[in-house]
Amino acid sequence: MKKSIAVSIAVSIVFLGLAVALTALCLSSFSCQQTSPSARRQAEPVSPPPSAAQAQIEREIALEKQRVLAEQAEAQRETVAQSLERAKACFQRQEYGMALGLLQMLLPLDPQNSEALELKQRVEDMIALRRQSGLPADQPAPPLATRLGPPDEAHTPYADEITYPKGWKEARTRDSSSAPAPAGQPGQDMMGGMGGYGGMGGYGGAIGGMSRPGSGPRGYDPSVNYGWVEVTDSIPKARGSDLPLVTRRRVPVSGLPSSTNFDGRDAGRIPADLLSVCEDEIWVIVRETPQAPRAPGVNYDTPGSGAMLVQIQEKKVPLPLKHTDVKGKVSGYIATVEVVQQFQNPFSEKIEAVYVFPLPDNAAVNEFIMVIGDRRIRGIIRERQEAEQIYIEARRQGYVASLLTQERPNIFTQKVANIEPGKQIDVHIKYFNTLAYADGWYEFTFPMVVGPRFNPPCSTDGVGAVGRGHTGLSGQATEVQYLRPNERSGHDISLAVDLDAGVKIEEIASSSHAIDKRRAGSEKLHVQLSPLDNIPNKDFVLRFRVAGETIKSALVTHRDERGGFFTLMLYPPQGLQCVKRVPMEMVFVLDCSGSMNGQPIAKSKGAVKRALRKLGPDDTFQVVRFSDSASQFGSGPVAATAENVRKALAYVDSLEGEGGTMMIEGIKAALGFPHDRRRLRLVSFMTDGYIGNEAEILGEIHQRLGEARIFSFGIGSSVNRYLLDRMAKLGKGAVAYIGLNDNSTEAVDNFYDCISHPALTDVQIDWGKMEVSEVYPRRLPDLFVGRPIILTGRFAGTTHTTIRVAGWVGGSEKEIRIPVEFDRSAPTHPGLACVWARQRIEDLATRTAYDMNPNLPGEIKQVALQYGLMSAYTAFLAVDSSRTTQGDHGVTVAVPVPEGVRYDTTVQD
Amino acid sequence: MKAKVIGLLVTLSILAPLLAGASTRTSEKPAQGRVRFAPVHVYLDSGDRPLAAYQFELKAQTGQIKIVGVEGGEHPAFQEAPYYDPAALMNDRIIIAAFSTGTDLPQGRTRVATVHLQILGDAEPQYELKLIVAADKEGEEIPADLNLQTGESK
Repeated sequence: MKKSIAVSIAVSIVFLGLAVALTALCLSSFSCQQTSPSARRQAEPVSPPPSAAQAQIEREIALEKQRVLAEQAEAQRETVAQSLERAKACFQRQEYGMALGLLQMLLPLDPQNSEALELKQRVEDMIALRRQSGLPADQPAPPLATRLGPPDEAHTPYADEITYPKGWKEARTRDSSSAPAPAGQPGQDMMGGMGGYGGMGGYGGAIGGMSRPGSGPRGYDPSVNYGWVEVTDSIPKARGSDLPLVTRRRVPVSGLPSSTNFDGRDAGRIPADLLSVCEDEIWVIVRETPQAPRAPGVNYDTPGSGAMLVQIQEKKVPLPLKHTDVKGKVSGYIATVEVVQQFQNPFSEKIEAVYVFPLPDNAAVNEFIMVIGDRRIRGIIRERQEAEQIYIEARRQGYVASLLTQERPNIFTQKVANIEPGKQIDVHIKYFNTLAYADGWYEFTFPMVVGPRFNPPCSTDGVGAVGRGHTGLSGQATEVQYLRPNERSGHDISLAVDLDAGVKIEEIASSSHAIDKRRAGSEKLHVQLSPLDNIPNKDFVLRFRVAGETIKSALVTHRDERGGFFTLMLYPPQGLQCVKRVPMEMVFVLDCSGSMNGQPIAKSKGAVKRALRKLGPDDTFQVVRFSDSASQFGSGPVAATAENVRKALAYVDSLEGEGGTMMIEGIKAALGFPHDRRRLRLVSFMTDGYIGNEAEILGEIHQRLGEARIFSFGIGSSVNRYLLDRMAKLGKGAVAYIGLNDNSTEAVDNFYDCISHPALTDVQIDWGKMEVSEVYPRRLPDLFVGRPIILTGRFAGTTHTTIRVAGWVGGSEKEIRIPVEFDRSAPTHPGLACVWARQRIEDLATRTAYDMNPNLPGEIKQVALQYGLMSAYTAFLAVDSSRTTQGDHGVTVAVPVPEGVRYDTTVQD
Repeated sequence: MKAKVIGLLVTLSILAPLLAGASTRTSEKPAQGRVRFAPVHVYLDSGDRPLAAYQFELKAQTGQIKIVGVEGGEHPAFQEAPYYDPAALMNDRIIIAAFSTGTDLPQGRTRVATVHLQILGDAEPQYELKLIVAADKEGEEIPADLNLQTGESK
């Protein structure tokens, strides 16, 4: 026992000794680590120099390490390759969640793996697609019966001669001998950083287009954003054509006038020093430095901002809308337009395409054809609810079907169900509309994108604006999805218009787009959109001036089994220009919401400042701003003294664009205060009209208008023309549009020319022997100088007569006489029945904004069905009942925000 | 009391199958109102006269069919989707018309149009097809037979 105790004690002592020794060793080591670097340096020489054998050993160790590292790298490469293969296999099996996980695992190992990066983008797109469809990311789609090859892509026209809108300014060419970019900032690096967009809509490879307006320094300036356009030897061909999209001779340059005079004074020529440009030169197009503040790290140069730039790092988003083709024919002042939307399924599973798009607000849509291969199925007009139900059922059962509905008079939704992978379905839409006419110019307009709308809180029937893939985020009945600033789709547009004015066309211009034009006689002209300007992110606006005297009070008729229809352009009497106006009470209302931020508000402020300076000494004025709420310059209208105008100019200068668009507050503020009856109250709204509650606004105007007149100015590249037109019509005034390339000074001067003379008011028409009925507009507006109105109605009988138009100018009565003839030589147009029916629908629809008559929707529906027209209560439907497909998924077409509009201030993301 | 309970049980046992049958019939009701889609192919036989224009009317018992699309025919002269009269459509009938100004015109029996329909119910609708007019390239009316074929085959 004692012995064992002794052994235990001895062992314990031994362990204790060992523990003490170890502790001492650790403390020693710690103290060594705490030694200062100098002390360590002093200690190093103490070590003996390595012998040759030791050096050899160290080399071998180093080599071994290198070998191990190489093996590890090889293993890593194998891991990456295997993971990539597995990810590809998962993608093939449509297990997108798994594929994404694998890619996320391998990309940190090989961040530059372009194949993996590309696959990741595709996987993310498919996941977004499935998210829209409410499907899990890894659910395989059912097998498909058939797959077809890619469709014919030959449709892009070749530009023969190009006219450039105002603001297309060439800065300089860059070659090896002049002002090279500083090191580290050459073209491609900058392109990557700028997030611009391929000018050829993704088809041109390295070819870019032009940036939009602006001017800049001649030399390189790092503070300026540059768009780079590289023209290489490999000039791309138009799809399906041997002709190149760009030629050296036609390389777009600036300084060209926006219009061409046909009297041989065509100034649209390339400067002589640019004619020798070689194909391998790089063109630098200068953009204006944006005025709006920019968040760090975010690139706001989108297709919407007009930057058509070569972009290396941009993300291509596969979307089902591939191309839109527009062909218009203008006869007199009536346009017939056919729009073809080409939907193609770029995904590996069947989809439903949903596309919200604009058309002119006075478009009478009367034809709808769905094209599948060489089969053409004409759509049927039906009550909207019934058509929607049929469409849903057809989609559910797997039939290819399409549905066109109207959300606003200028916003439509196109749905195409059951598009199989690789297949293409085209939708043809045809409409008629009358052209606007002002100050000697006709205007043909084709809107290309719906601007992002603001909806008041708690509203659900507005038009929401959300980022791509965020279906339902806005909570609105209609929703537009927008591409993010660094995204673009392959969707492009081609547009051609054949003009037959009936009289000599003296001048033509497009302030919005580069156009190619070809004369076909003094009265006829073929115009088409330049392929360099084919991103659908702004309204196409084409203006043409005809020989002045001959257009006055033109009457066009049409007869069919339904009776006679006519339109009459009523021109104001010449004598008005000799009479001076009465004093005015001018109210300027500026939209200072987020969508106006940047160029639009700058244009808006410029216009108001110009108008303020033109006020007369007897006038009074007020300036109202609104965004989330409204505020104003003074408590009431103030006299237009020099001091007041100076203060107002400073007030306008201080305004900025931010916040929501509570236009209703602006309406209340502008029309709410007492009216000075000695003066004519004119209210000028400067806005893009990006709101979703148009009916509420129009109702408020109707209620509060009183004796005021409303002049609405649409500011921006793709404004809400429906709202602005209706505001002006309800307000018995006029509308004008100022694009981002337009001169706001010119627009304001035209406006002042218009209001500087009294209008012909209380207009009455004696139709003579014409048996006229149902004439629209129902209430005749005032006739302003330079602003004719178009009347549309029905008539019976055929006789020669004289129409007498009477009205009051100040205290005296004026009369206009218009002789009309209904013989065979009178101009006719087959679309007049639809134009009239569309006017009747518009009249009824406008009344629904303030008239609670429950029969109005029924009347609209009746007219629309009888004439086969789109309306809020009817829809076009086409179903191919001859075969079914499998699956049921959906994807929404995302569109770029309009040019000049900022994504971050307008889109919910 | 016991007799009453037994009677009630007997009654229930008798009624149960009937109630179950009634329930089954109720659940089958949607099947009777089944919605399906099918094409109707319209053929016109102009004999040895070239066909340049036609107009016909198609209708069925009200509520049985809804027209959801109109497609052109097999001959190139009538391949374009024909026009329909929207006013007639409001009265549950469809009037379809087409013409060709070309020189290559069909003779004999040819499919001039396909009407895509939504059909309510399983029963095949009874169609009423009426030729309004058929004409040659001079605009003269020509005798012709009009008939239709249902189903997906053409």
